[in-house]
Amino acid sequence: MSQELMFYATAFLITVCSVMVVTNRNPVVSAIYLVGDLFLLAAVFASLDAHFVAAIQVLVYAGAIVVLFMFVIMLLNLGPEGKAHLRIPAPELAVLVLTIIGFTTIGTLLLTGQAPGVGGEWSPEAIQANGGNTFTIAMVLFTKFTWPFEISSILILLAVIAAIVIAKKDKKQVVHD
Amino acid sequence: MGLDELLALLKTDTAIEIIAAVIKILVVLVVCLQVPPVMVWVERRAPAMMQRRKGPNRVGIFQWRLYGLIQSLADTVKLVFKQEVVPRGANKVAYHMAPIFGVFTALLIACAIPFGNDLMIFGQKIGLSVVRLDVGFLFILAISSLAVYTVTLAGWSSNSKYALLGSLRASAQMISYEIPLGMSLVPIVVIFGTLDLNQIVVSQGAFPWAWGVVRAPVSFLLFLICMFAETNRAPFDLAEGESELVAGFHTEYNSAKFAAFFLGEYVSMFVLSCLASTIFFGGWQAPFIPYETIVKLVGGYAWIAALIGFTVLILKASFFMWVYVWVRWTLPRFRYDQLMGLGWKFMLPVGLVNLLVTALVMAALEFH
Repeated sequence: MSQELMFYATAFLITVCSVMVVTNRNPVVSAIYLVGDLFLLAAVFASLDAHFVAAIQVLVYAGAIVVLFMFVIMLLNLGPEGKAHLRIPAPELAVLVLTIIGFTTIGTLLLTGQAPGVGGEWSPEAIQANGGNTFTIAMVLFTKFTWPFEISSILILLAVIAAIVIAKKDKKQVVHD
Repeated sequence: MGLDELLALLKTDTAIEIIAAVIKILVVLVVCLQVPPVMVWVERRAPAMMQRRKGPNRVGIFQWRLYGLIQSLADTVKLVFKQEVVPRGANKVAYHMAPIFGVFTALLIACAIPFGNDLMIFGQKIGLSVVRLDVGFLFILAISSLAVYTVTLAGWSSNSKYALLGSLRASAQMISYEIPLGMSLVPIVVIFGTLDLNQIVVSQGAFPWAWGVVRAPVSFLLFLICMFAETNRAPFDLAEGESELVAGFHTEYNSAKFAAFFLGEYVSMFVLSCLASTIFFGGWQAPFIPYETIVKLVGGYAWIAALIGFTVLILKASFFMWVYVWVRWTLPRFRYDQLMGLGWKFMLPVGLVNLLVTALVMAALEFH
């Protein structure tokens, strides 16, 4: 019961934060709400016994990625946007309506029990029996998914090298200056 | 309701759990909030000692001077009652939130530090840290990565160029040194095979030759350097280079909010000192006397042993706090490019090689 209450409270706060991210006129304040959003999402993971994922969520998203967002916003020196009339064009309105209909359908299907979730291989009990969250993730990641893991790390390495090459100053030009 | 009924109610598992949690929170909170006043005093008296002068030694209670220890109290009262000036054009929400956030993250990290072995109280196991997490290690790294926001928000919201420049410097530095910090801690996880901090303390034992500092000396050195960089302390205190930036990110802060920044800084220094003692110096384990022997010596009362362990941890952390002050008054400030070069070109490669060597040695020991 208390767990359900916790979930609904967190879910409500996540929704509020998400709406604030989109509607706030000041980009930095939007970024702050985004941090709150990601932090609360970590709380949801933690309440699902996925402590490792929760910690990584905060470490990577809230602690690193949004910091970079904030840097970019500050360096571009974006001020708050002026007030504009809220005018939603027809295509966006259609998307909005369809989204609401879609989520309502999914919600009713879940609540009436017509679409029960299918449990995977790793239930919380199975993870506990296997030696905890971190151990299980490490084991699956480094046995079953070794190749995708290695290939994606090479991909990231390539992206880093490419970024350095693009950002590098032309040496000849510097000498002539 | 009679007294017996009340006592019976207090002995239920939930009640014990709640009472224990409240006591643990109070202990951690009180200890952490006691650190800044004492440290402010040390930070004035220690350099005075090093420079052969007296330092502030006047403020006391009536005729007792107490070596000027009450000076910090007087300063706090002054700061709290000072008029608060908010700069024009400041972003109010972020400006007021930043110092609070700093204290919040520092105290949150303190929650994960084990200050004693598990106690059995009325047949229930109570872990002596505010929260006992099986990913305590990652929790600490995650929360300390949030500390960047304090600096960033404070600098940006003040609407001042010195504050903004100081905050950009500080946050770039904190993000850069988070990577070697993580790298210095991974070998510890490899060696002890767990992310649970109390488990790490237990497996280090009471004898110094089995402690983390002996098993992973390179990690300890990297961690020590990162400790200074993460808290923006000298010799890495470029964020508040007085000669060029006034006071860095908290230039526009005064009164209680300025005090809150100090509070956050000293608490995070204390928490990192506790972490260093926990990971590298056996945490609450008294040197040379195993926990079981202590329990026997005090006549089987586990809570006295826990109290001794708590004192030992505080003493170990105090040593690192002293190192902070010692280094501040010994080394000059780095230049910014030297700082970045040290972080990225020296500490990160050393950390990676250290991890590789540790992993190879551990693998060799396992196959042996």
